[in-house]
Amino acid sequence: MAANVTSQAVKKESVRVAQGLEITAWKWMRYSGLLLIPLAWIHVALQDVIVGVHAIDITYVEMRWRLIGWRIFDFLLLAFAFAHGMNGLRQVLFDFVSGENARRRLSWTLLILWLVISLIGAVAIIGGVAIPEN
Amino acid sequence: MQAVKLTLAGLVRYQGREGQISFILHRLTGLGTLLFLAIHILDTSTVYFFPSLYDHAIALYRTTPFMIGEIFLVFSVIYHGLNGVKIAIFDLVNPGMWNIETQRKASTWALVGAIILWLPAAFIMTRNLLVHNFGLGL
Repeated sequence: MAANVTSQAVKKESVRVAQGLEITAWKWMRYSGLLLIPLAWIHVALQDVIVGVHAIDITYVEMRWRLIGWRIFDFLLLAFAFAHGMNGLRQVLFDFVSGENARRRLSWTLLILWLVISLIGAVAIIGGVAIPEN
Repeated sequence: MQAVKLTLAGLVRYQGREGQISFILHRLTGLGTLLFLAIHILDTSTVYFFPSLYDHAIALYRTTPFMIGEIFLVFSVIYHGLNGVKIAIFDLVNPGMWNIETQRKASTWALVGAIILWLPAAFIMTRNLLVHNFGLGL
């Protein structure tokens, strides 16, 4: 961050930034964020506003997932939204956790948590709706 | 704990106006959406793992507190998205736009735009809530 930001303009200077995982994550947050505008907004507008939670039940999910397109859509949403969110959480927590080791432990914890929940979601999308037992 | 205290004190003392408000809102809406998303992935996964549980999960989402929460969730997704577009464009296209004037204007517009987009959605969802949970006639 520039220390002296005037109302004129930010001074233009090229800065060499060390390449690495953190820079990739930084860029990735922006690209995935832009992609999430159509993905998340369509999903929310459709399910929360237009269809509504009172019209959603397991039969609805089963019907929706008969179209492979919706499964692909949901899979992309799962992949991009949750990774974007977990990395965002990591960024927020980094403001409260200092020290190389603590940050590394935190990153690994979040990565594993992300992986486990993502896998559960992915298996469900691929496996589809099981026949209700009741 | 020390870091949290320092942050909260800083939030009050630092007078960053629009930029600071958008920073706080961006984080709150993001964290709120993430919390819901994590729960939502797990409850939707019951359709495959424990299909008999799915309708119980949905029944919870149909309660009044959850439906009110859902209205705020929709605001969060809209605001976080619009403000995120601001960040992405500023960072990727022209970082010079982070000057105070442009930044303030863009932050204000992200909030105003989010409220404008949210209002019709909030109206429909509030109506759904009243129809289903409070017996409002159509």
